[in-house]
Amino acid sequence: MSEKKIKNIFVDGPVSPEFIAKSIANHNIKTEIGGHSIFMGQVRKDEIDGKIVSAIDYTAFEDLALNKIHEIREEIFDKYPLSCMHIHHSLGTIKAGEICLFVFTSSKHRKPAIEACNELVERIKSELPIWGKEIFADASHQWKENI
Amino acid sequence: MEIEIISFGKISEFISNQKITIDCGTTDELKTHLENIFPQLAGMKYKLALNKNLVQQNSEIKNSDSIAIMPPFSGG
Repeated sequence: MSEKKIKNIFVDGPVSPEFIAKSIANHNIKTEIGGHSIFMGQVRKDEIDGKIVSAIDYTAFEDLALNKIHEIREEIFDKYPLSCMHIHHSLGTIKAGEICLFVFTSSKHRKPAIEACNELVERIKSELPIWGKEIFADASHQWKENI
Repeated sequence: MEIEIISFGKISEFISNQKITIDCGTTDELKTHLENIFPQLAGMKYKLALNKNLVQQNSEIKNSDSIAIMPPFSGG
């Protein structure tokens, strides 16, 4: 593993639209960039056996998750010619309609940004030790399963 | 020897973080032991992490190691 500093990806609570707007704006000085790709995960108001999901409560094994995303980040940077990569995942209770995952990649041309963003989202969902507990309107819960 | 176990997700609802005394030397032996003392674990899909490293093959356990018990991930 390289000596690069391990970046934190976790934020307490939802990722705000203002934060996302500011992240985009921060790139206007990086004029070599020609394409951005953004994925935002939003908590869905699912209906499961007649009960409505009102929020998802996220927890993580943070140390392991941060080491793993560091590895993934390096692999993706090696694989695609990216200028930038930003990843933010919520912890705590995120209400239906709020953003819980924000992945943002940028490159000179569009394809590496799009492909890297997609690959990051897939790997975040399958490889990071993060768990979502779906909270129903009646305060009961079930543990989310990724498909 | 004594090890520390920590659990996550659904598993944290029936295994609390605690120190346990074991006489297993490897993670495979520990799995069998854990499934005996926590019968709900048997039949569930889960992974272990040994001292914050995902266990991908049978590994040796030492005194005061930390073991995390993790159900399938569901982030994003």
